[in-house]
Amino acid sequence: MALWGMVIDLDRCTGCQACVMACKAENNVPAVGAKEATRGRIISWMQVLTEESEERTRFLPRPCLQCDDPPCIKVCPVYATYRNPEGIVAQIYARCIGCRFCMAACPYTAKYFNWLRYQREAPGQNPDVSVRPKGVVEKCTFCHHRLQKARERARAERRDLAPGEYVPACAETCPSRAIAFGDLSDHGSEVARLARSPRAFRLGEELGTKPKVIYLSETEAHRRA
Amino acid sequence: MKWPAVIGMLAIVALAWGVLGLRGAPEVTQPIAFPHKTHIELNLQCTSCHDRAEKEAVAGRPRTALCLGCHGGGDATGEIKKVQAFEKGGEIPWKRVWRLPPHVFFPHRTHVVVAEVKCQTCHGPMETLDRPPARPLRTLTMDDCLACHEERGRRVEKTAARGVVKTGRALSTDCNACHR
Repeated sequence: MALWGMVIDLDRCTGCQACVMACKAENNVPAVGAKEATRGRIISWMQVLTEESEERTRFLPRPCLQCDDPPCIKVCPVYATYRNPEGIVAQIYARCIGCRFCMAACPYTAKYFNWLRYQREAPGQNPDVSVRPKGVVEKCTFCHHRLQKARERARAERRDLAPGEYVPACAETCPSRAIAFGDLSDHGSEVARLARSPRAFRLGEELGTKPKVIYLSETEAHRRA
Repeated sequence: MKWPAVIGMLAIVALAWGVLGLRGAPEVTQPIAFPHKTHIELNLQCTSCHDRAEKEAVAGRPRTALCLGCHGGGDATGEIKKVQAFEKGGEIPWKRVWRLPPHVFFPHRTHVVVAEVKCQTCHGPMETLDRPPARPLRTLTMDDCLACHEERGRRVEKTAARGVVKTGRALSTDCNACHR
């Protein structure tokens, strides 16, 4: 069974926000409008966090970190969010009751709540992803629908899923190739190799969440060592 | 006077009518009275016309060009004449009968090509109809999907254990497989 993971090279990231826009378009992430945005209700599954200092600005693209031991699933009273067998932390909108416990539990603030019905079904949306109703929590799914489509294609052609056939929209679009994606359980894969790099670190490692989004940074790894 | 009793009876009738009306999907009238039975008796397969079911997630309705492949040209009467009216272009405005809730994603391709599930398993005895169905012949619930996935999943696992299917993967009962 695959264990999907992502490696983001912060030394390569230019903070261009292409991943953010690709994610929004791919996953029907709604634009909440100015009024809602001022109330802190922006929904952005992928977010580029910035840290400015005298010498330089640092960027950190933050999707859902797809923890291997996710705190959010432990608090969900209705099993709407869970870790699936391939390590993807899923969110089932039809089951979500909107209690927002998971949002409170997530140490990375990677979950978002639909306070209103922000959009309706319309042409131009991705038909492979549902348009979320009011009152449910949503989050990055590693573009899980792309895995399903790739797998459907492979199975219809009676072959195995080839590496590189399933890539999330953010990784596909990154112009500086800062985002690598693949199977962490496959030792030979690019992500597994990068994850073993001395530059690798994970966000909030001390929390024991075991994120499957791994960051690479020369300075940060040095600082933590 | 028995007015309260009459009003009460009327209320019950109205309620029953409302409930029954809500239970069935609204009736669909197709532009052409297509007989499935006649076509199946000519040894056509479901996928001869519903060819997108083998290629895509959504099966859709057949293209008019496909109908005209057999029914084009020559003298025709009745319903076939209506089909030939589309010879100059345009699609027959078939109406959709089968609808899944918007939070369910069902790929026809996997079910038809890989699993080789018979169309009738979900769609009911369509081959016996000599006019278009006004509503779905079967009402599917999640229990129906899961029952099949669990039952067939066990079978696939068994054959995989015997080494018959090398790349065998148990059928998914993961919520995320259908809801996304």
